[in-house]
Amino acid sequence: MLRHIKTVLTVSALSLAVSTAVFAQEKPKIAFVPQLIGIPYFNAMEAGGNRAAKELGVDFIYSGPVDTNPVDQLQIVQNLIDQGVGAISVSVLDASSIAPVVEAANAKGIKLFTSDSDAPDSGRAVYVAQATDEGLGNAIIDELVKRVGEDAKIGIVSGEATASNLNAWIGFMQKQAAAKYPKLQLLEPQYAGGTAQRAAQISGDLMAANPDIKAIIAVASTTCPGVAQAIETAGKIGTVIGAGYCSPNTARSYIKSGAFGFTVLWDPAQLGYLTVWAGKQLIDGKAFEAENSVPGFAQPVTYDATTGILLLGPPAVFTAENVDKFDF
Amino acid sequence: MRHGVFSMNGREWSLLAACAVAIFVLSVASPYFATSGNAATILRNSVELLLVGLGMTLLLAMGGIDVSVGIVMGLAAIGVGRALGADLPVPITALAGPIIGAALGLLTATVVVLGRVPAIVGTLGLLGVYRTAIFVLLGGQWLSGLPTGLTVLLGTTVLGIPIAAYVIALAYLAMWTALRRTPFGLHLLAIGNSEEKARLSGIPVVKVRFITFIVSGALTGLAATFYVANYRNVEMTIGSTLALDAIAAVVLGGTSILGGRCSLIGTVLGVLLLRILQNGLLLVGVPSLWQPVVTGGLLIGVLALEVATSRLSLSQLGWTRK
Repeated sequence: MLRHIKTVLTVSALSLAVSTAVFAQEKPKIAFVPQLIGIPYFNAMEAGGNRAAKELGVDFIYSGPVDTNPVDQLQIVQNLIDQGVGAISVSVLDASSIAPVVEAANAKGIKLFTSDSDAPDSGRAVYVAQATDEGLGNAIIDELVKRVGEDAKIGIVSGEATASNLNAWIGFMQKQAAAKYPKLQLLEPQYAGGTAQRAAQISGDLMAANPDIKAIIAVASTTCPGVAQAIETAGKIGTVIGAGYCSPNTARSYIKSGAFGFTVLWDPAQLGYLTVWAGKQLIDGKAFEAENSVPGFAQPVTYDATTGILLLGPPAVFTAENVDKFDF
Repeated sequence: MRHGVFSMNGREWSLLAACAVAIFVLSVASPYFATSGNAATILRNSVELLLVGLGMTLLLAMGGIDVSVGIVMGLAAIGVGRALGADLPVPITALAGPIIGAALGLLTATVVVLGRVPAIVGTLGLLGVYRTAIFVLLGGQWLSGLPTGLTVLLGTTVLGIPIAAYVIALAYLAMWTALRRTPFGLHLLAIGNSEEKARLSGIPVVKVRFITFIVSGALTGLAATFYVANYRNVEMTIGSTLALDAIAAVVLGGTSILGGRCSLIGTVLGVLLLRILQNGLLLVGVPSLWQPVVTGGLLIGVLALEVATSRLSLSQLGWTRK
């Protein structure tokens, strides 16, 4: 009997060893938990992640809540921790509630980091950031000056006056204009709230009040269609160009009609790629350098050790030439 | 008193005068105000508010209200947008708005009338429900860059007048006829004066209230058709200032917030005054941040004036004097 038990134990120990060996040969698993599944933005991140997984030789798991519910998101992260994946990245919905799962992940030796939306004080391993407020603010001014020249009057139509990210972008636009283009005249920002209708109304009025206006910046993505529509209705295509922070899908028809010259945002597919790359670095135990060369990236990706931010790079500019290459 | 289609009382004349004064002052203050292009802009920006305002006039006259009109317009706009995106024939796409609006009006009436919930509370509750419905329907993604199929509604003119103007004229005449030439109008105003007395007089209160909510919903849905035709976009936050604008315009026009008295021509003038001020103040250089202050201020000012001139007594507003 004792011998029999010994045999069983030996066999199970052997099989355990074998299965561990098989497990060790499996590709490392890197998960990304978006804020919401089924929307084009995160679909694009998923596509970028899949491409990275193929190229870098890892398994990519994409799983997220069906509505933007922080509790659901935490449960999904917890499930992934229980499954024992190698690294988990999260586009955080609620920065204040993520710290406990970071601890749970650390306890199991799983690298938990953030991507697209951060939780700075959670103890996350790294934040893969899409763009800086400064980069976004500067990019739109620089791109506009390329098109309308320095000696121009430019209107700004924002969304809610209380939106801190929008106000930060406007602040950097004004700073960039004052520092680099002293002749550029940025009009006082106008606030349209969240509707395309108000944005159109305000843009129409701005063009009426300033017949010499050369461009209008739609700061909130909700204001992009309104600004563009106003330029179309006023028959000012070619004399006034619209620009803004909106996705190619939102702006496509306006970019094609000429009401919009370009939009500035980042490429979520590249962000998804960089997320998986960062996860692999963490699993491999490789530290991030100040400048990292990532396959498929034209420029080195910078890492700021004090803030723990890995930055995707300068924002992407979407124009009539490249807009059809993107679907988000 | 016999009412003509455009007959005006003292209140309406003073509103017209207010419009005239606003136009005069703004023309002097800004060289860009009194241009034909700007006039067209103001009228174009008034289309949706006029349609919603006509429905709101009936609701207020009946002693009802609907604070969810903005979000109802949003839900109807999703229907219109989806139909437009699917390249359905233009008439179907255009009618999707009023049909969905009417269906939502029926739902509102069911909650408010059958549920015996005060209209302001019932529609506020529905506002919350509908807001989430919009989010779920859009799935975090707007309908944007929609095809131009509905642009015919805006671009086409008949005898030099845009189709939108005919639609509004037709809606106005229909509402005016219903209010002033049919028993329905008398019943509606009677309910607005006193629902209890109306019921005791044998007026089909439930039926009249249902019809009014449905009509208002259909007009709001029609506004959605024009919204989508114009902006080819349905954003998550669509219509968020519509209820405030509509109620302000209607009250400004002389319709009593407590029901029993209404003015359709007043509503039209109220909408125009609001849009003239919103447009003109920006041309003069007042930041757009102040526009809701102007709207809200006018609403409060008019009500205070009505109390002061004792067209409205404090006890009607719920005050009791000890």
